[in-house]
Amino acid sequence: MDMPQEEKERNQPPEEESEERQTVFETLKEWASGMLFGSFVEIGTQAIRKEAFDINDNLMLLLFGDFLGIPNPISYYTLELLPYMAEELVPWERRMQNRKSILAEKAGQYDFG
Amino acid sequence: MTRPAYRAFSFFGGKGGTGKTTCAAARALALAEEGIRTLVVSTDPAHSLADAFDLPIGDEISLISPNLWAIEIDAEVEAQKYMKGIQEKMLHIVSPVIVDEIKRQIEIAYSSPGAEEAAIFDKFIELMEHLGDPYEAIVFDTAPTGHTLRLLTLPEILGAWLDHLLEKRARAVELMSMVAKYDRDVRQKLETDPITDILGKRKEKFEMARSILTDPEKSAFYFVLNAEKLPILETQRAIRLLRKYGIPIGGVLVNRVIPEGAGTFMEQHRLSQQAYLKTIHETFMDLPITEIPFLDTDIRGMSELNKITKLLKNL
Repeated sequence: MDMPQEEKERNQPPEEESEERQTVFETLKEWASGMLFGSFVEIGTQAIRKEAFDINDNLMLLLFGDFLGIPNPISYYTLELLPYMAEELVPWERRMQNRKSILAEKAGQYDFG
Repeated sequence: MTRPAYRAFSFFGGKGGTGKTTCAAARALALAEEGIRTLVVSTDPAHSLADAFDLPIGDEISLISPNLWAIEIDAEVEAQKYMKGIQEKMLHIVSPVIVDEIKRQIEIAYSSPGAEEAAIFDKFIELMEHLGDPYEAIVFDTAPTGHTLRLLTLPEILGAWLDHLLEKRARAVELMSMVAKYDRDVRQKLETDPITDILGKRKEKFEMARSILTDPEKSAFYFVLNAEKLPILETQRAIRLLRKYGIPIGGVLVNRVIPEGAGTFMEQHRLSQQAYLKTIHETFMDLPITEIPFLDTDIRGMSELNKITKLLKNL
């Protein structure tokens, strides 16, 4: 009785078994990459994203500094950028005006914990 | 008829009241009479070109004499056109709520110092682009020295500024696309960055203006002065500055030189002018100097201008 069962198992198409294994492996891989992304990659991209935002904020300051009262020699020419930056402008202005401490902001970027 | 040698762009500048406009007008007329299609442009916010020709001239190019066109750039009209273009574009891209919110900011930038200059400079570049179609020569009647120098040195200063902005934007875009590795939409948006595009176009325009302004084959700056102490000093300073920025100097025009035999009343004045003329010839010995006599009438209108055109034919 045992043998035929073993036989039966052996007779099962091998593709099915490997396919099952494949899906498990895929799930595992996805899960692992998700873990990795969440822990390492995400932290890395977050830092890069923060850096990109910082540079963009500085660029906005150079382009539209006169909106905050800082004279800009080419404010007339930067106006033509407004249609493309207007959506970012209002939150940027709020961010700039609400800045309390640049130091604290910078410190917040690093994981001191 | 052999055409006189001329440069595509000539600029007439100098201290206020020395006769810049008259010289620019006469030079333009001289070129036009030689069969060269000439455009004379006033960039001085206080226009007097219409007075020199004694003809109405507006902020649109108009034909005032055979082969001669004229325009007085109106900074306000140009700035309004520019703002209208931006506002129209804005309505297509940005939500009306945001447009309403940043209206105040636009007003601030619009009335900022330098806006007028920038508007004039834009028109200035636009006219330069039209050379050869149909104009063969463009004569600029510029504003008093300080203003013009700022205008002409703008491309150099702003070029450096734009380089810096472009660099920053490129770095931000680079970082953003690194983050957006998993987000195709963001990546596609960054590939055609309108900010980089617009800043780049600006830079190109400034570079074009700069390459024309510094090309001795294409442009020359002429200083108009009187045989007096202050205009000599100011011209000296201005020439030094233009040379620093690589703008070629075409020559010096001494206007209102009192001729001999002008009568006893003028004799004393004439002698003092002769002394200054000597200084002028010594100071600007490396430049061509043209003397324009003091006439017994005001130079206004075509027939009066014709009295001095022959002096300005071969600058």
